[in-house]
Amino acid sequence: MIGHILQFLRLTGRKVFFVLVIFVVASTVLFFAVRAVPGDPVALRLKNPDPVRVAETRARLGLDEPVPVQWWRYVSSFVRGDWGHSFTSGRMVGRDVEEFFPATLELGLAGLTLGVCTGILMAVFAEVFRIGVLRRLSFLLGTLGLTVPIFWIGMLLLIVGSWLLGWFPSSGRLDLAMIPPPVVTGFVTVDALLAGDGRAFLSAINHLVLPAMCLSLYPAAQVCAVLQARLQDPVLLTLVISLRARGLGPLRIWVRHLLKVVSAPVVTVIGSNFGALLGGAVLTETVFSWPGIGRYLVGAVLDRDLYVVQNVLLIVVLLVVAVVFTADFVANLINPVAGRADGKKSQP
Amino acid sequence: MTALTHDRRDLIDWMLMILFAWSLAGLFWTPYDPQAQAFLGELRAGPSAAHLLGVDSLGRDVLSRVWKGAGHTVLLGGAASAGTLAIASILLWIEQQGPRFLKTLIRSLISAGLAMPVLLVGLILLVFLQPSSWTLVAACAIGGVPFGFRQLHVVWSEQSGAVYALASRSLGASRWHLVWFTLWPNVRPQAVSLAKLMFAVGVLELSGLTFLGLTGDPDFPELGTILRQNQADLFLQPLLVLWPGALLSGLLLLVHISNIRSGAGSRRLSSAS
Repeated sequence: MIGHILQFLRLTGRKVFFVLVIFVVASTVLFFAVRAVPGDPVALRLKNPDPVRVAETRARLGLDEPVPVQWWRYVSSFVRGDWGHSFTSGRMVGRDVEEFFPATLELGLAGLTLGVCTGILMAVFAEVFRIGVLRRLSFLLGTLGLTVPIFWIGMLLLIVGSWLLGWFPSSGRLDLAMIPPPVVTGFVTVDALLAGDGRAFLSAINHLVLPAMCLSLYPAAQVCAVLQARLQDPVLLTLVISLRARGLGPLRIWVRHLLKVVSAPVVTVIGSNFGALLGGAVLTETVFSWPGIGRYLVGAVLDRDLYVVQNVLLIVVLLVVAVVFTADFVANLINPVAGRADGKKSQP
Repeated sequence: MTALTHDRRDLIDWMLMILFAWSLAGLFWTPYDPQAQAFLGELRAGPSAAHLLGVDSLGRDVLSRVWKGAGHTVLLGGAASAGTLAIASILLWIEQQGPRFLKTLIRSLISAGLAMPVLLVGLILLVFLQPSSWTLVAACAIGGVPFGFRQLHVVWSEQSGAVYALASRSLGASRWHLVWFTLWPNVRPQAVSLAKLMFAVGVLELSGLTFLGLTGDPDFPELGTILRQNQADLFLQPLLVLWPGALLSGLLLLVHISNIRSGAGSRRLSSAS
């Protein structure tokens, strides 16, 4: 028991240390990237950049101090949540992140949930019940999900769902004529429910359907492929046969034994593809004019809004790393044997 | 030709080569100037004998734009994948030959990098580099390194310890002989498959970045940029979006199917994507 706890603590410690290393590396890269921008950011910021005002502003922003001091100031401000002001809008970056991030999270979670459910259902029905049509469909899903660009899928969905059928709106999170529910979580669907506004809830769901479908294709393809490969594993088939021979019912075999073995790789796949999901979310937001953090970030890069870029990119990097490690951790908890086996592999 | 296309794999590979050649030809010749707004009287016109794919909302011939766009996509995607493979090969060499701490460092960075979307790398590079198509190529090349490194690592681990390589070495084969006559014939199918896979990844990521308008030139004929521009006419003339998207998806699908159909090793590489 103590051995297990020690191993658990060692694993956690290693992961936390690795996150800290990533934080230091990413913050340093972004710090120097912003300082490598051609031209003086202060002069760019001031409308009338006379030398006295430039010097004053540089001193006020701490840009006349040594580079390590500036780096430390940046890192400590980031940790405190003081992310400066946007050059273009003049708004606080933290406030913008608070506004845009929940929209991306809502879209990402909806897409991920839809994708994982679709992937699991396709794989299980195709492999467990041996339905030929579903096997072909799952192959098609895997092929399309991994090859067809997500932004084109989004446009096709808009043409069919919004233009031809007229069932779904083409942009935004809520009907323009509708009063948004009071912000509690930032998720319009949840906020509408909390406010007891059924019409707003239905409108939010209606706006969410097409972007979520678009975003779900990639995780669905990944989960389906991994799960199908796992379900075709001869070792797993032998396990099922031996459990049946011991007189166990199908429900008990699935819930008590197979779910544990099968869900661990699915969790790992979800975690390791979270970055791709975020990348997909940026493209999906652009196609569906979804007011999320991805569109905000791309706009900031094009406008050279340095504080926004520096801080939002660091948040995204940390988020991706945190999700990957959490997924790894959960997969280890679900099936520690697979985790130990993976740890012994020499490949990166 | 009959002999060459006697099985489907060859047919797919031939189709892929023809599509490549056709796309690259578009860099040198198109029916009309893809950037000239020469047909302002026929805005958003459908397909006709003079304009096989129609005219866009700025009076430009769609076929010419899509053709040249496909050429740019293939060229830039190919450059990005070549860059990825070159950097990944150098890193693999350092990892194999370098000291232990460097090996650990490279493996840790690759593990972290695998989780990062290429889009993020592109955005970081665009902070301090001018937006251009070659900046995006650099972003895709660097962003694809973790994935390329992992795939190369798999091939290297399999082949370097193979019995036939050890046998050839013990028979006194020179390094050149070992590489050219022993290792290369065995590695070639996997190398081709890996190159195709990296090309598909490069094209996919690059078109995503250009779709976001990060090329710096909104008029640059590339499939992602064309799709971005034509999205404004999605409900007025959907064909303007269907042509470039279908070409891009068709190219990627052909590469994917070609990879699936070539050998067991290639199938594994493909599924790893």
